[in-house]
Amino acid sequence: MSIDYFISILIPMLEGARATVLLFLIAIIVSIPLGFLLTLIVRSSIKPLAYLANTYIYLMRGTPLLLQLLFIVFGLPLIPVIGEYLVLDRFTAACLGFILNYAAYFAEIFRGGLLAIDKGQFEAAKVLGLNRWQTMRKVVFPQMFRIALPAVANESVTLVKDTALLYAVAVPELLHFAQTAVNRDFTITPFLLAGVIYLIITLCLTLFFKWLERRLRFD
Amino acid sequence: MPILKVENIKKSFGPLEVLKQISFEVNKNDVIAVIGPSGSGKSTMLRSLVHLEELDGGSISVNGNYIVKDGIYSKPQQLKEITSEMGMVFQHFNLFPHLTVVENLELAPKLLKKGSAEQTRELSMELLSKVGLSDKADVLPSKLSGGQKQRVAIARALMRKPEVLLFDEPTSALDPELTGEVLRVMKDLAQEDMTMVVVTHEMEFAKEVANKAIFMDKGEIVESGSPVDLLSNPQMERTKAFLYRTLSK
Repeated sequence: MSIDYFISILIPMLEGARATVLLFLIAIIVSIPLGFLLTLIVRSSIKPLAYLANTYIYLMRGTPLLLQLLFIVFGLPLIPVIGEYLVLDRFTAACLGFILNYAAYFAEIFRGGLLAIDKGQFEAAKVLGLNRWQTMRKVVFPQMFRIALPAVANESVTLVKDTALLYAVAVPELLHFAQTAVNRDFTITPFLLAGVIYLIITLCLTLFFKWLERRLRFD
Repeated sequence: MPILKVENIKKSFGPLEVLKQISFEVNKNDVIAVIGPSGSGKSTMLRSLVHLEELDGGSISVNGNYIVKDGIYSKPQQLKEITSEMGMVFQHFNLFPHLTVVENLELAPKLLKKGSAEQTRELSMELLSKVGLSDKADVLPSKLSGGQKQRVAIARALMRKPEVLLFDEPTSALDPELTGEVLRVMKDLAQEDMTMVVVTHEMEFAKEVANKAIFMDKGEIVESGSPVDLLSNPQMERTKAFLYRTLSK
């Protein structure tokens, strides 16, 4: 196999990897704060809101991400009357699907982090005169994020791999270009190359989170 | 007039009555040792003084201001002001693990905007030196021993300059060789006329430092009086049985 061939498939695949990384970044940057917001709503004292948020989380975690993507990309435009206004650019639609889905998972992760905080922390804050919001902001959330970090890291690696689902809604990304090259050239190399690129991305991510965990260590 | 007045407080957890009509008073400069078997309600009693437990009935007042009067609590803002006269030290320290020692001390004063940053720093360093931990100011709690953590917790409670300091079994979570350093700090405070209510199993400390002891069992005050009398010459059967069990261990 020539170097020239290798480069000829590498370039479109790196192009595809760019879409993969872009989707990953958009999804994670929006879904983490959104998930955090959901956690707050689930715990809020406004019961109907909490109930809605719980239902949302259940729906998102209880159905396949692939179904949700197909629903947003191909399903929404089929809705009578309003459907024609719901035709989104495919990449945008896919981002939306990932954000909505992952926010639910992050909400559950943060909820777990909240539950892990000792009730003595709340009591100490109360006795020191902090109000509810001060307690959350200065005592609870910093600990919650730290506790949730390993689970967030894990979920992020899953997100990188889930971007391959874009293949199903025909958004050109890493796997799409690999598959095209395999079909065209009848060689296994593009699959191996795709695997290596995914590994490099997840390795960077893992190293980043390990660094963050060390930096924020307090136990 | 007593600083703290507790009248007929009651509390139940379901069918279990943990506090049955408890009354006592705390005068200025008192050091009161509260002793009794586990499950006697002494921690619940102490925690109710700073509204960590909600009472079903009775009254608690600080300098004549009612936290709760005949089972009815004051408005939240008022409640907060009155309980701010009291500091609390917990069995498990409850330091904030993500903050350094000095940040633990300064978090509340800074958030509540009590004094300037310089004043707060001056006070926190003074209190750390008082508990012998000046060199640990910038260390995270996880790097401290249990005894050091509890001394930080005491310094943190003193930041508000409380009129009464409450201790909920401050040495029960410590290894025996670390209780001494905490008891020493508490003894220093007593000598500086700090008013304290201490739930404790340390009989020697009660005898040596407290001026009054209260024995609780099954949600009631069975007996109270001078620590030496109560511990050496108890009048009630239940007190005798408890002391016999404790001292024969």
